[in-house]
Order: sequence, then C-alpha cells, then structure tokens
Amino acid sequence: MALAFILSPLLVLAVGGLLLMLAEAFAQPGRRGGLALGTTMIFAAGFAFSIGVWLYGVEDVTERSMLAPWIVIDRFTIFFDALLCLGGALAALLAGGYLPEHQIERGEFYMLLLFATIGAMMLAAAGDVLIVFLGLETMSIGAYALTAFRRTSPRSAEGALKYFLLGAFAAALLLYGFALLYGATGHTDLAGIGEAVKKGGEKSPMMIIALVLVLAGLLFKVSAVPFHMWTPDAYEGAPTPATTYMGSVVKAGAFAMMLRVLLTCFGDKASMSWSAGWPPALAWIAVITMTVANLVAGQQESVKRMLAYSSIAHAGYLLVGVVACMHSQSQGVSSVLFYLLTYTVSTAGAFGALIYCGSRGKEAVTFEDLAGIGRRHPPAALAFSLFLISLAGLPPTAGFFGKWFIFRAAIDSGFYALTVVAFLNSVIAVYYYLRVMVFMYMREPAAGAPVATPMRSGYVTAALLLSAILVVLLGIVPSQSLDMAIKAASVFGAS
Amino acid sequence: MASKTSQPVVTPRSSPPDRPTWIAPTFFALALIIVVVVLTQLLGASGKDRASFSAANATLGAIVPVLIAAAVGALVPRGRHVGAWSVRFPLAVIAALFAIFMMRMWPSSAAVVTEADLAAPTTESGTILSWLIGLPLAGAIGILFLPRQQPRLLKATTFLVMIGTLLATIPLMRVDMGRTYHFNQDVVWIERFGIHYHVALDGISLWLVILTAFIVPIAAYASFGSVSTRIKDWCFALLLLEAAMIGAFVALDLFLFYVFWELMLIPMYVMIGVWGGTNRIKASLKFFLYTMTGSMLMLAAILYLAYMYGRVTGGPTSFDYFELQRIVLPRNIQIYLFCGFAASFLTKVPMFPVHTWLPDAHTEAPTAGSVILAAVMLKMGTYGYLRFCMGLFPEASSELAATLAGVAVLGGILYGGFCAWRQDDVKRLVAYSSVAHLGYVMLGLFAATQSSIEGAVLQMVNHGISTGALFLLVGVIYDRRHTRMLDEFGGLAKVMPVYAALFVIATMASVGLPGTNGFTGEFLIITGTFVSNKLGHVNGIQAVGAALGVIIAALYMLTAVQKMFFGPITRDENRNLRDINTREMLAVAPLIIAIFVIGLAPNILLSQMRDAVARTISDMSARTEMNPAPGYYRGPIKLVPRRPDAPQLPKTAANAQNPSTAAAPSGADSAP
Repeated sequence: MALAFILSPLLVLAVGGLLLMLAEAFAQPGRRGGLALGTTMIFAAGFAFSIGVWLYGVEDVTERSMLAPWIVIDRFTIFFDALLCLGGALAALLAGGYLPEHQIERGEFYMLLLFATIGAMMLAAAGDVLIVFLGLETMSIGAYALTAFRRTSPRSAEGALKYFLLGAFAAALLLYGFALLYGATGHTDLAGIGEAVKKGGEKSPMMIIALVLVLAGLLFKVSAVPFHMWTPDAYEGAPTPATTYMGSVVKAGAFAMMLRVLLTCFGDKASMSWSAGWPPALAWIAVITMTVANLVAGQQESVKRMLAYSSIAHAGYLLVGVVACMHSQSQGVSSVLFYLLTYTVSTAGAFGALIYCGSRGKEAVTFEDLAGIGRRHPPAALAFSLFLISLAGLPPTAGFFGKWFIFRAAIDSGFYALTVVAFLNSVIAVYYYLRVMVFMYMREPAAGAPVATPMRSGYVTAALLLSAILVVLLGIVPSQSLDMAIKAASVFGAS
Repeated sequence: MASKTSQPVVTPRSSPPDRPTWIAPTFFALALIIVVVVLTQLLGASGKDRASFSAANATLGAIVPVLIAAAVGALVPRGRHVGAWSVRFPLAVIAALFAIFMMRMWPSSAAVVTEADLAAPTTESGTILSWLIGLPLAGAIGILFLPRQQPRLLKATTFLVMIGTLLATIPLMRVDMGRTYHFNQDVVWIERFGIHYHVALDGISLWLVILTAFIVPIAAYASFGSVSTRIKDWCFALLLLEAAMIGAFVALDLFLFYVFWELMLIPMYVMIGVWGGTNRIKASLKFFLYTMTGSMLMLAAILYLAYMYGRVTGGPTSFDYFELQRIVLPRNIQIYLFCGFAASFLTKVPMFPVHTWLPDAHTEAPTAGSVILAAVMLKMGTYGYLRFCMGLFPEASSELAATLAGVAVLGGILYGGFCAWRQDDVKRLVAYSSVAHLGYVMLGLFAATQSSIEGAVLQMVNHGISTGALFLLVGVIYDRRHTRMLDEFGGLAKVMPVYAALFVIATMASVGLPGTNGFTGEFLIITGTFVSNKLGHVNGIQAVGAALGVIIAALYMLTAVQKMFFGPITRDENRNLRDINTREMLAVAPLIIAIFVIGLAPNILLSQMRDAVARTISDMSARTEMNPAPGYYRGPIKLVPRRPDAPQLPKTAANAQNPSTAAAPSGADSAP
C-alpha cells in the first residue's frame, strides 16, 4: 500500500488518463468541453498527491527497496512530480481555451499531455538507463505528436518533423552512450554505473566516448547550443499550449534526467573535477548557449520565436546551476530545481498571455501584432508584462529569485567569470523582453495593419491568474518553496 | 480644488487698470494680523497673571511669522492669469506651512539634545518607514481596481495618497537624528539566506526621504495638467515609483536595497517610453539597459560579499549592512567589489563616461518624469555611493577617490558644463547641467571631509529642488509652444512676466547665487575639497576646477535665460503666450519657496545630518587607520566586531546562535 502511495502521482496520472480516454470515446461529439477541466483536475490530483507524499516523507518507506534500483523515489522525484503536474495543469488549462478557439480541439491532445507527463515523471524517478530511455521516449513521442497537432499548418508539420528526426537521432546517441557505459561497467542501473566509474579511476577511451555521447543526448533534450536547432521551429510551429508544455514540462523532465544521470553516474570526484571531468564542457556550453540564444532572440520578429530562443537562454542559465554542482552538489541541484519552478510558472504565464492576446484569425504572432495592446486591453498587457519581467529576472518576481539562487550557487562554487557572463547575458535578455513591452505600451498599430484581438476564455484566464499569483508569491515569499528545493536536492549531497 | 484648477483660466479677467490688485489682499492680511495680535493680548490680559500673559506672547510668536509668511505668499503672485484667490489662498497655505517647518526645525533647540543623544545612542524602532513605503505601494495596487473611465477619481486618489505619504514624514522630522539610526525595523524575510526586511533612517537618508515625499506630489500635480492619456497607468507608475524610491533610501539590507533599486526601473522606463517625446523608445531602452548593466554588476558584488560573510562566519549568510560592514577584505577583492557597486551607482549619478543616457532620458521624458528622474533618482546613485561604497569598502573608496574625483571635476563639472553651454534644447541644457551639478556632489563625496560630505548631501537636496523647478518650468513653455529650442524664444519676459521671474529664480539657485540654496552646498563642497587629504596632492587644483565650474554654470544658465527671456520678441507665435496658470504656479511655488528656505537657513538641514556624516567619516577612518601604511588589510578575510551603535538584530532562529562563534554548519547549504 505504501508502495502505491509513493507512486501515487504517477498512478493518478496514468489511471486518470485512461479514464479520460474512455470518457472521450463515449462522449457525444461536440460535448468535449469538459476534457480540459478533467485533465486539469487530474493534474491537480497528481499535484496534491505529490504534496501529500512530500509531507508524509519518503525516507522511511521501506517498500522503496522493492523498486530499487530501477525506480528511485526520493524527495527529488517527488519535487519533480509536483513541478511537472503544475506545468501540465497550466498547459491543459491553456489548451482548454486555445484549442476550441482555433477549432482544433480533439481529445487526443489531453491524453498526450497526460501520458507525456508520465514519461517526464519516469525520467525524474529513473534509476536505470532503461527506465531513462523509456521515460524519455514516452515523453518525447508525446511531445512530437503535440507539436504536429495543428494538422492543417505546414509550419506545425515542419517543426514536428525536425523535432522528431533530430530527437530520434539524439535519442540514438544517448542510447549508444548507454550501451557503451554498459560495456565499460557491466551495469545498467545508474548507481551501479556510478560505483564502477568511481572505482575505475583513470577513464578508458570507451568511457570518455560514452560520456560525450550521453552528454550530447542530454544537451539535445535541454536544447542547449549547438543542439538547439530544432527548438525555434518546433516551438513556433506547435500550437501554443504545446509550446508551453515543451517549455515547462519537457524542459523540466530533461533537466531531471540530466541531473540524475550526470550526478549519479558521473558524480565522483574525478568526473566532477575541472581538469578531468564534464564541468568545463558544460560551463562552455552554458556560456555559448546563453550568449548565442540571447543575441539571436533579440533579432526575432515573432514573439513566439523570441520566447523559444529565450527558453534556450534559460537552459543556459540552468546549465550554470548544473555546473555549480561541481563544488556543492546539493546547492547546485537545489538552485536548478528552484529555477525550474520559477521558470515553469513564468514561461507558462508568458505563453498563456500570448494565447490570451490573440483570437482566431487575429492571432498575436509578431511584435507588430501586439502594438497597442496596452491601451486596448490593459489586463492582458499587464499580465504579459508581469511574466516578461519575471523571465527577465527583475525583482520582486519569481524569476528574480530563481536567477538569484543560481548565481549565488555559482559564486559560492567559485565560478566568478561564469557568473559575470550570466549577469551580463541577463542584461541582453532584458532588451528583448522589454521590446514586447515597448510594442504593447509604446507603439500603436499602423493604419490597416492586422491587430491581435484578445480571446475570451475562462480556462486561459484561470491559467494566467494561477501563474500570476505564483509568480508574485514566489517573488515575495519564496522561503517555503526554497526550503523544499533544498530538501529535495539534499538527496545528492549525501552521495 | 481639483475641480477648480483642472480647467485653466482661459479668458483673462479684466480688472480695472487704475486699481492695483494687491491693495485689497494687503489690507486684509494686515487686518488679520492686527486682529490676531489684539486677540492674543486680550486673552492673555484676561488671565491677569504673568504666566498666561507670556504664554499668550509665545503663542503670538508662533503664529505671527506664519501669518506673515501666509500674507507674503498670498501677495507675491501678480500677473494677468495669476491673481485669483484660487491661487492666492493655496500659496498662502504653502508659505505658512514652510514657516511652520522653519520654526519647528530651527536647530538651536536641537543642539542641546544632541549631546545626550551622543552619550547614550538610542535606536528606537517603529513601523513608520514601512508606512512610508507601504502607503504608495498600497495606493498603486488600489489604483488598479479603480475604473479607468474616471480620470478625476484616479488623480484625486493618487494625489491624496501622496499627500498622506508626505504627512507621514512629519514624525521623522520630530526626532533629533544624531549619530544613530532611527525607526529601525528588522523583520526576517527569507531566513535561509539571512535576508531581512531591514529599514532604518539616519540624518543623511532623512532628507532624501523627505525630498522624495515632497517632490513626487508636486510632479504628479503638475503632470495632471499635461498628461491626458492612460491616466490609470500613469498614476500606477507614479505611486509604484514613489514606494520604490523611498524604500531604496531606507533599506539597510543589501538584498532589500537591490529589490527596491530594480523596482524603480520599470515605472520610470514606462513613464519615459509611454508618455515621452518622439525618440522616447530609444531613450527609455537606453536608460534601462545602462542602469541594468550597472546593477547586475552590483548584484554580483552583493552576492560575493554575502558569500564571503558566510565563509568567514561559517554560519548563515547575511545581507545586513551592519554585518557586511564588519568584513575586512584584502586589497584586490575589495577593489573588484567596489567597482561592482560603483559601476551601478556611478551610472545612475551619472558620471562622465556613462552619462550619455541622461540627456536622452531627460529630453524624451514627460515633465514629471524628468522632475522625478533629476530630483530623486539621480540621488539614488550618490546616496548609494555614500552609504554602500564608502560604508562597505572604506579602503578602496579612499584609494580610488583621487582618480574618481579627477573624473568628477573634468568629466562632470567642466565637460558637463561645456556640453550644457553648447545645447540648443533647454531641457537638454538642464540635463547636462545635472551632470555638472552631480559632479559637485560626487566630488564632495570623494573628498570625504565633514564639510564636503555635508555639502554633498545638502547639494543632493538642492539639486532636486532647483532642477526640479527648472524642469517644471521648461515643461510649462513646452506645453505652450511644443518646442524647447532656445532660438525659438526671445523676449518672453514681456509676455510672461511671472513665468520669467520664477525661471530666473530657479536659474539663480542652479547657478548658486548666495541666498539661494545652491550656494551653500557648492560652497561647503569646495571648501571641504580644498582641505581634503583623500585626493592625493591635487585637492587644491580640484577645488579650483570646481570653482571654475561655478563660473561655467553662470555662463550657460545665464546665456539661456538671456536668449529666452530678454531682448526683442523675435517670433510672432510668442506674442500671445499665456502666462503661467494656476496649476503650474501651485506646482512650482513650493520649490521656489524651498529654494529660499534652504538658501537662508541651511542649518535646518545641516544640523540634522551633521552627526550622521561625522559617523560615516569616523567609520571610514577607523577602518583605514586600523591597517598599516597602504591602508589595506593583508591576510585572510576577517570580521571586526559589530559596531556598538548598530541596531540590534531581531531575535530569530537564524541568528539565535551568534554567527561569529562559528556555529556548526547547518542544513544542506554547507556541503563540501
């Protein structure tokens, strides 16, 4: 029973997804309005169960050993369960407004959301490379399908195809890396690989190739430069709720996988050292990711594409946190966890505001479309501004604390140059976030130009309200969630 | 009042030419004073003893100056459009309030108390500062829920909240500041990082807070005449800005300071970008990015400092100003951190190489935005330098003072002055004059003598008042002509006599004519610079350069005044300009009165800040003298004991165990 309890977030989503599938199949056509609500409720239940498990505590549950070493349920997993459910709920709410408005509502969307989230949860709980791969594919295939959901749009298909081909390629790289790891160590469970790597001392060429391949696969999934090529197209082509989902849940799942694999398999002193390990590679990639993404984002004409590049840039900041694990694993991980939380609410809010600003045929795509929204529809513009300010990392919003925590971890670990680069990058980032505000508040649309007309949807409003409240709350009273992140990360400090 | 003043007097009232308008009010005021005198004497006499009689005389002594001030205030304005009682009465009230302010704040009675204050440093606590921050903040949030379609309601609410904030500063003035911090409030915010909500006030920040609470309502009141679009957003931005600025002046937790510091940016950015001139978007972005770059470097330095504190104590980190002051850093680290902070503050000031955002921002900003930007936000940089750079890094700021003072004189005072001289646009001219004036303030801070810092703080307030007045007045002419080019004007004194008089007064204050406020500040700064030992061997040259700057100031300001107001009327458009109207008069009048109040009685301000300045200097010298010859500590980073007069930390779990006793590393925070 206790086993079912600690697995409950995952089970709730799975059972709920199956039930919804049945409900959708037997529902009369044209009466699918409740699906979004149902999905949201399932995510909310998953969230509630995660919190319940968190409060109950997983450390003393002896049945955990029955799952080991394939599935690891610890505070880290539970934190991600809650985070992923939150992201999923926001995406489902947005879908509830977006899909009917754009007349592409089909029940599959919600099922895909639920099952892809289960994949992401498996990634967070994985203790074995096979589970990692299973979770990754469950999540990714869902994400590919979600991207292609606007069937009539060539951009959607293009984005999905790029995403799928490159993603399959990256998954193959990852799998190849895992195979080599197995060959080198004789283990498929992460902890076993970690032990073997620790004992091995000097690394064999096979190990190094394996590490490189695994890193490439992981970096592809978090869309770090130079593995980011798919991101703008996929983000732009996908229906915006799916983009939200990719920005929040898929990204969080990928980082869960990255932390779990890197810190468990390559968490020993030698692999974590600056001279012989992965941190310098990740640090350089973080610098390149932040800089390239921020510079390119400033050039974009489409808001959605700008947000896609901004999500790449945020992956760069998160990588700074991963690099900061070098000296203090727990601190680095906790900063990444908290950043993912703040990033999830801010980015879901930003995409939600973008959805809210456009209705069918009058979508908000480019900056020009947003001109004058601030005067015509003040609440939409105000909400959008709030989320952008949070993404830019200005106080007193959630994003500020996320950045603060990551940079603090980096400074504590002695990465001063890296931190300064990250700081200066966030100044560049401010430029393009502010550009949206410039168009919303300071420009008026040219005569005869198409203007975006905000839609009316209770779902989207609810999602925006929820994210806005969280953004402000996390910005003013972050203590509680910070403590949770730190507690979740303490899993890694012990090893 | 709003209902009457919102419609400008369009038709000039034809008064009989043979009877001057001032006769009736004069007689009325004289009669009022006589009545009061007689009444008090009668009341005192009715008591039939000495005590009540002298009490009555004391009352009389308190009332008569107020009445005289009110009478003078009511009589001064004359002109075609300014003569109605709707302007005379408020002016009388403002003048009377200033008279009360002067009498209550007169330093002679305060000096006695300061001795006792020095003997037993007391730090009372109180929530008044939180009210000062919270009132505008609550007002801003409240504005969001008011209907957009009722601009009058929005304006009235905003103005009332601002007046309420101004009234809430009265308790601040009733305390003799002395050396210590007052109204200390320290609440744990985020316990794990040692972040506190810590606000307190000393004699230096006192005047800046009052300046903020004083300027913002004026700017808002003036803006209500010229800003007509998106009133709701405008009111929201103004109130948020006020809350953030007051917060930044009183925050003593570096984290909290940073939060307020950044919070100021967005409203000002929106104010420039939405209601500004033609190039507003470029100017606002430039403003934002310049400031943001600086503050990011400051954030990195803050983080590093807090991290060092955690390392040294072995316990939790802290962002408290007094705790971080205890860290003694070796030279190279201190220089880096100093540069991080200075990058932020000197960009805001702005100092020479990074000043280029200021003319653009000022030129494009709406009048109220310029006023607030010049009067308060630039002071944020000088205040930050005084409080944080000099307080946290005394050795580094002493070492670099000579170099930076050279930049302040050459790049700020002289270059800024010459740039101002070459400007065709009045607003740009005033903006460059700000660069020059803040060069004085920074020079005073770099010199770091008692009189130079006193002069610098006084000059911060002075610049706020005189430049605020100048920007308001430039806004008046811009509203009429929609141009600010100097060669578009000429001979305006004939058309707009009252306006010309006010403008000349503000100009004189800006130039530093004795009797106006600018004189005292500049004089103190220059004398202080002359005797400074912080500026290498060139302190004399710096002082001479600064004095030269006064002449340049006269050159560019008076040239501009001459081109605008005197000589023949060259353009036909200028022949029928309306003189200053009621709203503009009422907005600018408090500033004009304040120019004279501070100019004639600077001791009101100086007496309150003197001990706080002395404390700053003694703190600095205590640190620099502690170390051998180069003035730097060599060796590992260490902590010095907490200053005895620093406010106590609140009793919480985080600092229940004394951090300096190297408590056992707690929590997951301190993994290897």
